[in-house]
Amino acid sequence: MTSIVDAPAAVQTAVRPPAPRRRRVQKTWPLVLLLLGPSAVLIVLFIVLPAVYGIWLSLTNTQLTGFAARNPQFIGIDNYTYLLASADFLNSLGQTGTFLLFSAIIGQTVCGMIAAVLLSRPWIRGKGFFGAALLMPMVVPEVVASLTWASVLATSPEGTLNRLTGVFGGEPTAWLQTAPMLAIILVNIWRGLAFAMIMFQAALEDVPAELIEAARVDGASAVQVFRHVTLPLIRGPVFLYLLLTTISTVGVFGLVYFLTRGGPGGQTRIAAIYIYERALQFSQIGIGSAASIILLVIVIVLGVVYVRLAKVEV
Amino acid sequence: MTAVESRSAASLQALRRGRRSLRPIDVVQRSIGYALIVLLALFCLVPFAWVVFSAVDADAGATVQWPEFSFDNFVRFFTASGTPLLLVNSLVIAIASTALNLGLGIAGGYALSRFVFPGRRFFMFAILLIRVIPAPATIVALYLIMVNLGLANTLHGLILVQAVSGLPVTLWLMKGTIDAVPVELEEAAWTDGNTRLQAARRIVLPLIGPGLGAAAMLMFMGSWGDFLTPLVMLQNQDLYPLAIGLFRAFSERNVVDWGLLAASAVVYVLPPAVLYMLVRKHLLKSSLGGALKG
Repeated sequence: MTSIVDAPAAVQTAVRPPAPRRRRVQKTWPLVLLLLGPSAVLIVLFIVLPAVYGIWLSLTNTQLTGFAARNPQFIGIDNYTYLLASADFLNSLGQTGTFLLFSAIIGQTVCGMIAAVLLSRPWIRGKGFFGAALLMPMVVPEVVASLTWASVLATSPEGTLNRLTGVFGGEPTAWLQTAPMLAIILVNIWRGLAFAMIMFQAALEDVPAELIEAARVDGASAVQVFRHVTLPLIRGPVFLYLLLTTISTVGVFGLVYFLTRGGPGGQTRIAAIYIYERALQFSQIGIGSAASIILLVIVIVLGVVYVRLAKVEV
Repeated sequence: MTAVESRSAASLQALRRGRRSLRPIDVVQRSIGYALIVLLALFCLVPFAWVVFSAVDADAGATVQWPEFSFDNFVRFFTASGTPLLLVNSLVIAIASTALNLGLGIAGGYALSRFVFPGRRFFMFAILLIRVIPAPATIVALYLIMVNLGLANTLHGLILVQAVSGLPVTLWLMKGTIDAVPVELEEAAWTDGNTRLQAARRIVLPLIGPGLGAAAMLMFMGSWGDFLTPLVMLQNQDLYPLAIGLFRAFSERNVVDWGLLAASAVVYVLPPAVLYMLVRKHLLKSSLGGALKG
């Protein structure tokens, strides 16, 4: 479920023009059911049903073990009122927000945009090399990414980052303990900037070169051209990217769980980890499910906001 | 005539001059540009230095150092109790879920591409919208459903879940790929006496290679790299894939065996990396080709 990897394909196929004419429309139901039926049933069973079942679970006091596990009760919105008054949960939402804002919306977007713009310059040499280098973090599995960064951020004076800061006279630091949020933000930027770069490269290719040239002839600087000509023209793809990266960043779990397990002291307990801990470690399925539904609603609201922003001024 | 010639010669000269002597502002901009892209490339590449060096270092630690070259770590990976099983489990899960996913995706994509039926557009958009749901938001309910079906803590249960989680993307990809195959080719096969499904198998299947390769790569990488689903679904140590094995080796022992971890990481990265290199060209073709032909 690495949605970072599979997203571009979905986007590109989504905008494809409709298929050519189709024949033999009648009497095809048995064949359609035979071909598409299994997929439809499985998607309903393993994707739609869990979402619906999650809503039901969030209204009960279901537990994995104990009395309520055998006999779960319907308790209405108690789980929701509990969560919305719980400092732990509100903190986890806040941490998800911080993580999303600085790693995806600012970090990946800015780094990816810089990379895409630079690699679209005609004067830059070694495009193939730079492109491949920037793509590498995206291709490796989540666990390997976490492991490599665990070594970079290692506490001992020999950890890569400590060696680097040591050159400038810095003391060895236990990065994952002293600056855990900063560390996971950095790692997520690392992992996601290639996806941003690919999306923006595709968008920049569609910007007519004549418009840029005309602006340059009129005496605009490179930064002005980007700000006033390029950026307005790629608004749509940028918001589409923001939508996709928001969805995948809210779904980030392994990276953070591997590096910090939500700690120390809950400082990196993003919502995904809160849900996992509550439901599967403390076995409070009802509360975990309610947290899932709140997370889902926030993602949908953000999605609607992006779509609105993208459409209004394009 | 001469006027035209002299003008073009002059503009050519201007062009040449422009290329040779950059304005100072251009020099500054290009220097900044190179500095930024080199920094970004270093940021992306440096963390890998540790994996590459430590995997072949007999004396590996958490630090990047020039290795005392040896394949000892790989030997230990393949002989240590339990680790080869992790690799086998990962291969079984990823290959089986990719095969199942592609089988369902080809059949479903063919139906979506070739038939008009009520609810087709609704179905296409519904499965696209499914992508909005973050994985952690449904994993708990999914786990309980698997427990009730008796599929929790089994490899085939995990394979099924993985295959279906990638199905929306595969269906979209396959529909687009099959759209690009002309219906006329199939019609010719029908008149030659093939049934609808025979024609689809003989005509369509050989022509969708690149799209199929792209879908296979995305699905395989997704399944191979997934951490959350096996973590939740599997409790039995004998069923763990590499992702969980690596995590446990890193977090649950007091002394971390960095050399073995690095070797495992290299083994873990190889299949998706090789697959990516094989399919990369097709990946571009299938996403661009469809747009051009359509």
